[in-house]
Formats: sequence, C-alpha cells, structure tokens
Amino acid sequence: MTSTATTTLAERLAEVWARFEERLETVPILARLEEGTVTIEDYRRLLFNLRQQVVDGSPWISRAASSFDIAHFPLRAAAIHHAEEEHRDFLMLERDYVAVGGSLDELRAGRKNIGSEALSGYLFHYADRPNPVGLLGAMFIIEGLGARRAAGWARRFQEVLGLADNQVHFMVYHQEADGAHTGDLEAILTSGMIDDAAADAIVRCAEVVARLYALQLEELDR
Amino acid sequence: MASGAQAYLTGLGRYLPGDPVDNDGIAARLGGDDRVTDRIRRRVLADNGIVLRHYALDEHGEPTELNEELAVKAIRAALDDRGIGAEDVRMLAAATTQGDAMIPGFGSMVHGRLGGGPMQVLTAAGVCASSLAALDAAVAKVRLGDHPRAVVVASELPSRILRQRRFDGVDARMDAHFLRWMLSDGAGAAVVEFQPNPARPSLRVDWVRHVSLAHEHDVCMRAGMAGLDPHVGATWQDVPVAEAEAAGMFVIRQDTAVLGELADEGIRQFEELVDTGLIDLRHLDHVVCHYSTHAFRDLAFEGIRRRMPQLDTDRWYSNLATRGNTGSASILIALEEAWHSGRFREGETVLLAVPESARFSFAFAHLTVVGPAGS
Repeated sequence: MTSTATTTLAERLAEVWARFEERLETVPILARLEEGTVTIEDYRRLLFNLRQQVVDGSPWISRAASSFDIAHFPLRAAAIHHAEEEHRDFLMLERDYVAVGGSLDELRAGRKNIGSEALSGYLFHYADRPNPVGLLGAMFIIEGLGARRAAGWARRFQEVLGLADNQVHFMVYHQEADGAHTGDLEAILTSGMIDDAAADAIVRCAEVVARLYALQLEELDR
Repeated sequence: MASGAQAYLTGLGRYLPGDPVDNDGIAARLGGDDRVTDRIRRRVLADNGIVLRHYALDEHGEPTELNEELAVKAIRAALDDRGIGAEDVRMLAAATTQGDAMIPGFGSMVHGRLGGGPMQVLTAAGVCASSLAALDAAVAKVRLGDHPRAVVVASELPSRILRQRRFDGVDARMDAHFLRWMLSDGAGAAVVEFQPNPARPSLRVDWVRHVSLAHEHDVCMRAGMAGLDPHVGATWQDVPVAEAEAAGMFVIRQDTAVLGELADEGIRQFEELVDTGLIDLRHLDHVVCHYSTHAFRDLAFEGIRRRMPQLDTDRWYSNLATRGNTGSASILIALEEAWHSGRFREGETVLLAVPESARFSFAFAHLTVVGPAGS
C-alpha cells in the first residue's frame, strides 16, 4: 500500500459520490427540475415520498447507536448525538408539505415507495449488526446529499415554481445541518479508528445506499 | 435573501340576493312612498344612475337572508369557479361594513356557516375599501408561504337599515337619503393561491396599496354617532338605545358636501402611484373603478384619462348601474363580472380602484392576467 488507509477511503468514497451524481442526473424528477419543467405536484410528490423515509432516519441511527459496543464509544456517541439532532426533521418537511397545499392527514397516512422500502429495510438491517461501522458510508451519501444538493434543489424549485422560503424549509435547512454532520463524519473517517476491513464495509454500504436512494427518487414517477 | 411566493386570483364568484329590483320596485321594499320622499328618491336615483339592484328583502320589506349567508354563497361560487371545496381553504379574510351580529366577528360567523377545516380568519371592518384590505392580508399571507390557499369575501346587507322604520320620527335629510336610495345588498369573493389556476387563466396580484387620510379629514360617512365629531356621550354605546335611535344615530349618513374633495383626493392617490412607478401607464390595460354614483364616474374617468390618454370605455369597467352600490362588495362583484365576460386578455393588466368616503381611505390593486400553471 502506497497511501494511508484513510486517504484511500476518501478517494474511494469520492468515486462512489461521482457515480451517484451521474445516476441522479437521470432521475426523472431531477431532470425536470434542471430543465425547469418541474410542477408543484412534482414538489409535493417529492416531499410526500421523502417524508415516509425521513421519519425512519433517527430510528435507524438510534438502533445503530445501540449496536456499538464500548470499544466503539466515539461512534456510539456520534450516533446518539446525530439521532437526537434529526429526530424532529420530518416535522419541518411536513410543514413545507402543508404550506404547498398538501394534506397532513394524507401525508401521515402515506406509505413508502419501493425504493424507500428497500433503503429503510437495508439501513435497519445493517444497524442491527454488531458494531455497524459500515453505516458511515450511508451517512456519507445521505448527509452529503443534504449538504451538497438539497439547498440547490430548494433554490431551483423556488425559481421555477415561485415558492416562498416558508415552503422549502426542509431542503434549505439541510444544507446547514448536514454540512455540520459531514464535518463530523470527516473527523471520524480521518481519526485512525477505521481499519481496512471497516473501510471496505463503508464503501460498500455507500454504494448500496447511493443506489437505493436514487431508486427512491426514481420510484416517485412510478 | 428571503423570497416570497406569488399570489393569484384563481376563482371569482358573486352572490346577489333575489331578483333584480328596478327603480319602481324600491319603495315596496324600503318604504318611503309619501310624496316628498318619492320626489327625493327620484332625484337621487336620477343622479346615481343605478337602474337595477338586489335586496335580501321580500316584496314586503322583510329580510330573507343574513349577511353571512350572502358571504358564504359568494365564496361557494368562487370555490366552484376554481373547482375546489371549502376544505381546501386555509385562510378566510372577510370584509363587511356591518355583520349580522355585533359579536362574534363577521369572519368567524362566515367560517362557521361555510365549514371546511381549521383556517385563519380575519375580519376587515370598514366600508368600501375593506374588501381590498382583506385581499391585501390574504395576498400577503399567501406570498409569505404561510398559506397555499385563501379566500377573500366582501359582503354587505345594508337594506335592513334602509327601511322606513329606521326613518320614522328621525331627522333625516339629504345626508341620509343619498345613501338610502343608493346602497343595496350583495357579496363578491375571490380564491387566492400561490400557484395559478392549473387549467385556466388567473389574475396575478402584483400589489395592493391601501392608504387612510383620516389624519386630515373629518368623518364623512357614519352611523352610530351624532354629528361628525366623535366625542364621549355622542355614540350609540354611550346613551340608552332608545335615545340613540331618537337622535337618528342608527341612520347611515354621508356628508355629501365633501364628496368632490374625495374624488380629487382619489385622483391624487392615483397620480402618486403613477409618479412612483407602481402604475406603468404604457402597460395599464383596464381600470375597474368603484364609485358610489354615476355623478363621480365622469370625474374619475376624466381624472385618470388626463394621465392615460388611451383610456376609453372599452378599458373602463363598472357595473354600478345594474348591480347597484354594494359597498365593500362592489369591487369584487365588478371584477367577477368583468373577468367572466372575457374582456381581459392574457398579459393584460387591471387596476382596481376603491375610494372610501367614510373617513377618506383609498385602496388600489394591480393585477396581471396570466395563463394556466406551467403554460
């Protein structure tokens, strides 16, 4: 090995990210957003679909926290902290949905799309494993999306549909919150506690989550 | 930088109670068929130019509906026009000069009768311009993104207090007759949304401006007070009700001597909107103006034409003559009829103008016709 394990991990994750972004370009709703042909129904449907998975965010992270033993205390602490920070996020999304004319009752009665089912199922299953270090790969994708893409989507929805700030809170907020989270993640990935096997697990989990996340967005239009 | 949404009028409706009443049918409903009153009535009618109006009174002068019922019927017409139901509405802004009851607020009563779900309710109390005050509030909340959909209604039922029993034994001169033979009942409503109508053109609300000049004008139109000068002991709540009635406080009156001044001030307010660039006369296509009587139609028309030479009768709209003067409801009843007549084309702009004599308020709204969402 000519480079340190963490550098390699960073490069490998950057590659997963690049492939993920390529896939996102082909997701129909994101293509319409880019073209400026997206409709208010698209935005409502996006929030509707995201909500069904976002409500699971804190629970799978909490479950992961309880699966870390004392030897992985820093990861357990980070997961507990992260779960606590995010467990009310879906409420913000719900307010946005209502603010663009959606029904809260229908939103709360909604079910996950096929991609969300797969993503949530995978994450809960992974979180049940002892010391699920690989989930840092899931964080990398999900928080990265929030930090790097969500605010841009929000601005574009605002531009195309003439939405008020009060209607895009969830996506705008994630730029700041997830920016902080990706900083925390970076610190863990470069802390020296990630060995080669853990790095492999992180990259694999990132690949799976990237694919399932894209599937969740693709399923909006099915 | 904070961004707001747009606000669009996506549905318009009106409700005018009963059959239209022509000038010969007024006395049967409002009374005042003695020779002197009859002569005054004819004179006032000749001046105001109204030939048809509606009353929520039967042919014997007995009330047939409540003001809140007129409001709800106009709202339902607007919701039908948009193809949605009351359960889709998140805010109701209701304007009236006088609700059916003193308490609760008119908006709450209209919501109670309308049904639907939980919603924000605002009552804009005032006179003619209160409809645009209600519109302004609804538009602002929609633009903020606080509500995706609001409904604005302006509703008036003055006929009840214009009947003879209010005038028996009361000193009522031209200050009361002028309004008695001018005002009538009706309601107009609009649906306000953050997106245009998906299937049909909408009216985008570019801005609403509402200014009071009460700081430099005395009371002009009033009820519930004696004289023009408000002071303790001279309002209907300070004295026994019978005393207030005998003093004629329950008669609605107007100091007609200052109406010329009102028209001049209205033109000045219009000029100011032009001079500050809110109105671009090269791109103003239609004017829908509320005025109480045809006597003021020419003043307003000529006043605006001084700055807007292209103004002609095709660009000027009023339905005062056939729908009557329904106070705050007038501007929405006129907009509804103009809109559904198809006289506005996509891309054209519309100015709504409402002078309010009560204590000199002026409201304007600027609208642009836009195509369906996504077009």
